[in-house]
Parts: sequence; C-alpha cells; structure tokens
Amino acid sequence: MHPGVQHPKSPDASSVPASLKTETSPKNASPARRSRPPRPNHRHIHRFPFPVDVHPLPPLIPHNPLSIVSVLLSYLTYLIAPPQQHVYSAYFDSATSSVHVTDPKAIRALWEMGFFGKGSLSRSEPSWVEREKKRRGLLGGTTSEEVTRQRRTERRELKMDRARMEKLIIQERLKAEAAARQGADSTVEQPSQSPSADVSTEKFSLRKAKEARLLDVQRAVQQDGEVNFPDTSEKQTLNGSGKTVRFSPVVQAKEFTSDSAILQLPEVIAEEDKAGPEERPTVENEEHLHLSNEEAFFLVYGLGALTILDDTRRNIIPTSALLPLLCHHSKFPPRDSSSELNPDDTFLISYVVYHHFRSLGWVVRSGVKFGVDYLLYNRGPVFSHAEFAIVVIPSYVDQYWKETEERRTHCATRVSRSWWWLHCVNRVQAQVKKSLVVCYVEVPPPVSYDLDVPIETDIGRLLSQYQVREMVVRRWVPNRTRD
Amino acid sequence: MADADEAAIHLPSQDASAHIEIDLSDETQDFRMLSNISFLTDGSQASIPKRGEKDFEPNPTLYQADILSASRQAMHHALSHPRIHHPKNQIVGVYAPDGPAPPPQRTTTSVGGLESIAEGSGPAPAEPSPTTITTIGNVHPDACVYVANPKSNLFKTIGQADRWNRIWLLPEEALFMLERGSLNIRWPRSEVGFDEEEMDGNGVEDSGIPMSLQAAYAAFASRGGLNSERFSVYTGLRRLGYTITRAPGWDDDAEDTTGDDESTCNENARQQGGGAGLVGIYSRFINWLCPPSTNTALGPVAGVGFHRSYDDIYSKLSIIPWYDPTATPKAERSRAQAPYRVVFHVYKPSTPFKKSAPPAPDFRIAVVNARAHTSVPTMSQLGALLESTPLDPPSSEKMSRQMYMRLRHGYRNVILAVVDEGVVSYLRISEAAFGKEKLYKQKALGNKIQHRPKPKGR
Repeated sequence: MHPGVQHPKSPDASSVPASLKTETSPKNASPARRSRPPRPNHRHIHRFPFPVDVHPLPPLIPHNPLSIVSVLLSYLTYLIAPPQQHVYSAYFDSATSSVHVTDPKAIRALWEMGFFGKGSLSRSEPSWVEREKKRRGLLGGTTSEEVTRQRRTERRELKMDRARMEKLIIQERLKAEAAARQGADSTVEQPSQSPSADVSTEKFSLRKAKEARLLDVQRAVQQDGEVNFPDTSEKQTLNGSGKTVRFSPVVQAKEFTSDSAILQLPEVIAEEDKAGPEERPTVENEEHLHLSNEEAFFLVYGLGALTILDDTRRNIIPTSALLPLLCHHSKFPPRDSSSELNPDDTFLISYVVYHHFRSLGWVVRSGVKFGVDYLLYNRGPVFSHAEFAIVVIPSYVDQYWKETEERRTHCATRVSRSWWWLHCVNRVQAQVKKSLVVCYVEVPPPVSYDLDVPIETDIGRLLSQYQVREMVVRRWVPNRTRD
Repeated sequence: MADADEAAIHLPSQDASAHIEIDLSDETQDFRMLSNISFLTDGSQASIPKRGEKDFEPNPTLYQADILSASRQAMHHALSHPRIHHPKNQIVGVYAPDGPAPPPQRTTTSVGGLESIAEGSGPAPAEPSPTTITTIGNVHPDACVYVANPKSNLFKTIGQADRWNRIWLLPEEALFMLERGSLNIRWPRSEVGFDEEEMDGNGVEDSGIPMSLQAAYAAFASRGGLNSERFSVYTGLRRLGYTITRAPGWDDDAEDTTGDDESTCNENARQQGGGAGLVGIYSRFINWLCPPSTNTALGPVAGVGFHRSYDDIYSKLSIIPWYDPTATPKAERSRAQAPYRVVFHVYKPSTPFKKSAPPAPDFRIAVVNARAHTSVPTMSQLGALLESTPLDPPSSEKMSRQMYMRLRHGYRNVILAVVDEGVVSYLRISEAAFGKEKLYKQKALGNKIQHRPKPKGR
C-alpha cells in the first residue's frame, strides 16, 4: 500500500460521479469473479497417502539386462546409504489432552500426505496464513473459506430475491382481487388473472439465477456510487469498528478494504507506513495443527512418522507410555495415570476403528459435524465428499462380560442406543447423501491383560483381540422397491 | 364381499391405486383437482402427478383459498362416490375357532363346490375324527378362517387350500381381507348355539351370522403369534402390492432354516485363501525372501527403515481383525433371539409367486416393537439375525464395477421393521465387509479400467 500510488486515486473516489466509477468497478470485480486463480493441483499435492517416504525399485524387465543392473544398483545404493525416514515432531499438552504440531513444514506434510489433523485457526485445512496474508492484501487467490463465504452470500441473495418476488406477486394478486371485488364482475377477471400469476411464479424459479446475476451487477454498480459518495468520516467509523459492512456482494467487500486504505486519515496512513514494510513480508504463522489422539497414535505407532514430546517439550514419549496416556485422557477429567487399562476404553475402541479403516486405504476424519464418529473419504476431502459415515458401538460378546450383574449393567449402558437416536443419525446421513455404517467393535475380556507382561508392551497383540464388524444401515422405502 | 372394482382387481397388482384413479376420472374434469386428489390419497402411482409450486405459508389471497377449497371439494367427491359390493362376488369365510379341521360329518361340496378350483383330489376321507386338529393337507395350524368358494384374485397369493377345496386363511390374512372389504366372515354354528340336529342336517358350519370387525379383531389380532406390530407391517406391505408370507422364524421356538448352502461358502473361502498357481508360488517366495517383519508390539507397524511401496505399508498395517461374512460360521451358531428373527418373507409385486412353491423371497423382515425393545440391537443379536439369512453377495454386473455399491449391498441383508405404536419404520441392515474391499488396491484397478479403452479408440 504505497500512499504515493494510491493518493491520487482518492480524490476521484469522492468527487468523480458514478458514471466514471462504473467503468472501474467491473475491472475490480473481474479478478475475483472471472479470472480465478488456477485451482491447485490436488492430484499432485496429495499424491502420497501417508507421510512416509517410499522408494520403489526400478521395474525389472527380464529381457532387458540393463534393468537388472539398475535394480541391483538401487539395492546397492540403499545398502550403502539407506534413506532416512523423515520423522516429524509434535507435543502432547496434558492440560487440554491434545496433540499439536507447530512446525509449518510438518503441518504441510501431515496435511498433504494423508489429511491428518486440523488447523487450529481454520475450518479444516490449515490455511490461516494464506487467509491472513490475503486479508492484508499480500496475496492473490482465494482460500476455501472465502469461496464458501462467497457462495453463501450468493445463495442468501438468491433466496432474498425469491422471497421479494413472491411477496410482490401476492401483493399484486391482493390488489387485483380488491379491484375485482369493487368492480362487480369478479367472475370475468378471476380466471384471466390467476393463470398469469401462475406463470410468473413458475417462471421465476427458472429465471431467478439469471435475474439474481443481473441484480448483483446492478447493485454492485449502485453501491459503488454509494460507497464513494459519503464523506470520509463515515468511512472511518465503519472501518474503525472492524465489522464487515453490510454490502453483501463479495466484490464489494473486497473493494472496500482497498478503499478504506485510501480514505484513511493521513496520520493513520503515516502510522501504517512505518509499520508496513517490516510487517508485510513476515506474517508469522500462528496456526497449529491439532491432531486428534487417534491420528497422533496412528502416526506414531502405525507409521512411525511422528514423535510426540511431553509437556516439557524435551522428552519423547515412548509408544508404550503413549497408549496408556491417551487412554487415560479419553475421559475428562483424565483418569489417574496409575489406573488400569480397560479393554473397552473409549480411546482403544475408537482407535481400533480408526486404524482399521486407515489400513484399508480410507482417509478417516472426524464426523462430529454430521453427528457420527468418523467420515470415510476416498483419497481425501479435497477430492470428493465422504461416502460413508461411521458410528462406533462397542460389543461385548465374550462370556467374561456376562459373568456378574455389575458387568452386565456396565455393558448394557455402554451398548445402549435408542431407536430414535439411530433414526436421527440415519436421516441426517441420508440428507447429506452419505451411507451410515454402524461399526461394532467386539471388546475382548481383560483376562489376557493380567499375563506376565503388561499389555502396553505388546500393543499389536492387544489390538488383534478386537474385531470390527460393519453394518450398513439404510432406510427401506417399500414404495420405491416395488419395481 | 367383493368390491365394485372387481375389474380393477383383475389387473395384476396395484389394485388399490387403480380404483382411485378410475373413480376420479369419472367424477372430475378439472385436471388440477385430479392431480391434487390422486397425490393426496396415494403416493404409489405409476405416473407421478404434476404438483406445481407449493405454497409454504397461508396468505390472504382469495386465489389460495380457492385452490384449497377446490382440492378439498375434490376429495369429498372422491370419498362420496358410492362403492358397491356385488352380491355375486361375495366371498364368505367361516371362522374356525379351533384351527383347521376337516369339514364336519359328510363331505359336502354344497357351498360353492362347483366353481371351486379343481386342485383338490375330489371328495372323501372316511370319518375324520373330530379330535384330529392336526394339519389337513398342508394348512398352517394357525389358520382360523376358511373360505369355501374362493373366487378372487387375492387367493393367488393368500391362503392355503385343503383337500376339500376350501381355502384356509391365517389370522392376518383374514383381517386384511376383512379390512379391505373383500371378505365377509361368519360365525360358525358351534359358537352361536345352533342345535346339533340342524348341523347334522346339512353339514354346513356357516351360521349366517356375520362377524363384526370388532369381533374379528378380538378373535384374530393376538392369535397364533400375531400381534399389532406384525399386523401393521403385514397390511402395510400388502396394501402396497407386496406378497407376504410367514417365515419360519415366526414362532419363537421354531428352528429357522437357513438357505445357507455350504458349498458357496467353501467356494468363497477357497477364492480368498491365497492365489493359486504361479502367482501364489511367487508371492510365497517373496514372503520367504523378505519375511514380513513384525513390529506390531511397539510399532511402527509399517516397519522401520525405508519402504518399497504404499501397498506394502497398507498390508503391514492391517492388523485389526474384521468379521468376514463369507467365512464359514463357527460351529455353534447363536440362534436368532425373539424380536430379531425373520418373521416375514416379502415378494415384490413383479416377482412371479406360486403358493405351492414360493420362490426365494426378495426381502426378509424382522419386526421389532420400539416400545418394548427400546435400544438398538447389539452386535450379537444383529449378527444372529443376519446369519439366519442366506449369503447374498454383491454379484451383479453393475456392482462389480462400483465399489460403493458393493459395500452398500453387503453380503447378507435383512430388513428391520421398527414399529412405534403403529408407525412403521423400515431399516435395511446389510453386512458390509469393508475389509474385503481394499481401497488402496481399488485405486490402481480403477485406473487400469480407465486406461484400457484408450488404445481401442486409436
């Protein structure tokens, strides 16, 4: 924001009439609307399913002796200098029972390769820096949050237009009816009038998109005039309050930021001038990647791509200690660290499901927004919508759980879900076009736990005692299956 | 009593919707009314009527009020249309409180014997003793109404014939026909106190006294395992045109037979267990060369060092056991428990149905009372229920191409009818084996399929 460049513009903003402004506004609008920056190549960015390096052997072609040589060569190079697996680091915060990654490189890697975690300042993908840079006018392009916002405002506009049109039609009809009542021959007018109204309501739905577009452009032009007409003091108050102004078209909001810079009082500009040059290039990335406990444990135990530091940020938590730690933190407040591990611990059960679907190639993410435990994405959320929504229910088949009354009631409460709950979840999933999968996890008895070795030293054996069974639940509508 | 729309009944299935349409087209000329009325009264029409735009809230225009009153008017018209039961088509059934029994005394073909279907092997068992209430022919022991002159298309799918050309109806069948107005049930003489002599005289049980709807409900609604939940499922699906029969799981003590033929299971198991031939040998050789390192104790499961391919990582990661529905079930199979049992076999209207040899059902339904069993079934309950159904793997051509479809179809499936005070909600439960569809391998497969057509085009 060089004042030297922008100052000459500011007088025309206040004095030049709207006719001139109409020329400039489409120019400003076009970069946002028409020439969108090319979409990121997700296919390339997310080509690795896991944050683990893979070194495939060169292809072996039997009739080509050179290929054998190259295979041998690659073996040799790996023998001499085995490639190092990059291990990222995170830390566990016991106060919030959460795992965080702060290194920007690690954040990118974990997100891009397998869609792990969630940006602490973003909806999902850690995109806060880009948004912040954009907000300060340092970067072109749009973040996903902005696209969503834009889409929402557009939709709201459409709906408002529609409501306005409907109201107009009703008013017109009322007027016509009143007129008809006054003029005695209502019988003649009624039929001629009603079809016309019908046509207009029906046509509106088809036309509304076009109309809304037109309205948008018109209003953009109008408001452009309005924005620039009022004097600077009003602008200042609006700007100072920090609220987004109620000019809903997206184009407007964008222009407004630039306008505000122009119209600021001299001393404010001067102030920004001082701060500007240093501040602009270094937008500090304040965002963490928040890993869910299951994700963190999978990255550590499953892939070995992550190490987790404890509260001191110095010592690495070994895997054998990490499992009990996360189990104890599966409840709030966390249980005493000395307490026994339960085989039906919430963390263990949800981890079993998480690991199961990850090992089959699904990208597993939290489904809390849809009222379920997990969502299964094919390849990743940037490629397609989740097709399956997972609900986890433990299951106690083993005789051990039926032995005492206490255990039976415990199991019953853990298992119990009402029909109303199931229908609720099912209807929501149908609404968002996902298939509901009820995932039963068979919980082993804890007898195997009091063997000679503590269970956390052989996590693989512990996990192999669970069993996962999936049932797809769907509403059956007899009317539609008659053929 | 047969409906006036006997003609409509002769049309295959869809009788209920057909007669409403006929009524309307005679009555009203206005298309809007017609569309309104047909959409109000039944949603199961072949052609969906045009509904136009919906008003979401009342507004003070006369126009809206006119539309409302017009459609109301149309409904009243339709309802006030006289429905005539022709006495010629009357179907008369007789209540048999003691269950199926041979006709009393002499074998009489007096009641409608002439028109009856000629499948019974003529007259005659000599003196059936009154004590034998066991099955006569193959009539279900719960049957409690018999029709001596079965002349209706409904009997193509309802009832069971005995040797005397009488058709015996189960309580739900009798109630359904009664509700529909297609059947007139009479009290038997034994129940209303007729003289013995008179009975002897003509051997007719029919007392001529009609049974009221209330009496029929009182007599049938809880007879032979029937309850209101099962009945509402039965009639609901019947009205939609489905054919429903009782499944072996109807009685709580009955051992349900599964159509689970072991051969298919074995076949599947064989297919699963490792590749045969050269590929198998090769993979075994590779396994021997570099044995899969087991790092499952403390991880990383994917293994230390560097990796050759993501497929290797995935296969190493798969350490969580999952239930394989195609595997032969364990020796002791848990029996399906009370509410979670298949009680109905349902056939689509389009499925050709023969009473003597019913085909494999299109759907299997278990009926649950949502008030009596308030929580969703546990895995063992649902598992036992699913195991009582035959294996139905996703095998169609379309499914072989689409993985999502395969997963949704599952390997076994059953329909739960959850009944909450008369309101039925159907849920289709299917056993999806996600473990059998390795997504990471699917991707490679999908790419190959995508690439294949290319050379053809060139």
